[in-house]
Amino acid sequence: MSYGRPPGVESFSGKPPALGSFPLDHEGECKDFMKEYIKCLRANKNNNGACREFSRAYLQCRMDNGLMAQDDMKNLGYQDASKQPASGEPKT
Amino acid sequence: MFRLIHTARTLRTASQPLARASSTPLTTVWKTPTRPLPIYPRRGFASKSHSESNASSGMYALAIFVSMLGVSYAAVPLYRIFCASTGYSGTPVTDSSRFAAERLVPDAESRRIRITFESNTSDALQWSFKPELREVRVVPGETALTFYRAKNNAKEDIVGIATYNVTPYRAGQYFNKIQCFCFEEQMLRAGEEVDMPVFFFIDPDFNEDPYMKEVNTITLSYTLFNAKYAKNVVPGQRP
Repeated sequence: MSYGRPPGVESFSGKPPALGSFPLDHEGECKDFMKEYIKCLRANKNNNGACREFSRAYLQCRMDNGLMAQDDMKNLGYQDASKQPASGEPKT
Repeated sequence: MFRLIHTARTLRTASQPLARASSTPLTTVWKTPTRPLPIYPRRGFASKSHSESNASSGMYALAIFVSMLGVSYAAVPLYRIFCASTGYSGTPVTDSSRFAAERLVPDAESRRIRITFESNTSDALQWSFKPELREVRVVPGETALTFYRAKNNAKEDIVGIATYNVTPYRAGQYFNKIQCFCFEEQMLRAGEEVDMPVFFFIDPDFNEDPYMKEVNTITLSYTLFNAKYAKNVVPGQRP
């Protein structure tokens, strides 16, 4: 990709996402969860730390509706929110 | 091989004159020596015949040839492994240990970094593509979610594909995406509107990098293209 370019030229090389690509939510099944998350962020000055429950709920909705591979929430960075057990099987 | 060279020189003492040009070394007549000849220890290959030593040196040469051929075949996967682990010359680094669960712990003492979102569309694409959130503030290690809204304004189904980049350049190596919508074709039906999420986190090693001390804002920019050729391009080249 960068062959033929002079050395020392910085170029951005994209890294692939770990879990690939999200399937598109054509029917809008998780739109409410998204709206809740955005409302929380707007209320908290875009501070992500205050709204982790809502983003977790959105990802849970995606998993429940088959729009995301089932995964343990710990693998997605939600270790502290273990009060609600994830409904999916842990990732093998 | 060396034995062949050595045979050309006979063991000379003072009684024998220098090599006679007319006779070949192998047919030299051995005259009775007038003084005692030095006794050299017998060498192992002195007992082999010439054809055997030819064969053994031929085997050495063949072995070297075969091993060099093997090394050149082995170099292909080895180079690939080397590039993948070091990211040399722009190879994407696909090391999944970056996404291990213990790395996804928010760093409580760190400052919040502002991640801003930008979007671009190509002129050939009749989609409107805007970020839902202009910015999110995260700490390294904290996973975050953001959305882009895309609407197909055309009258037919269009397939779009997105690429992204991260500025500042050096911060891009710490921007890890767990799941997103880039580099894969996404089809939208005519008039459809959809929300596309990006799930990412900033690598915890961000705090250890001295170059990142002054970095407080990271910008993620997506560019959306049309995945199929435009209709009025040269007709013979449709995919």
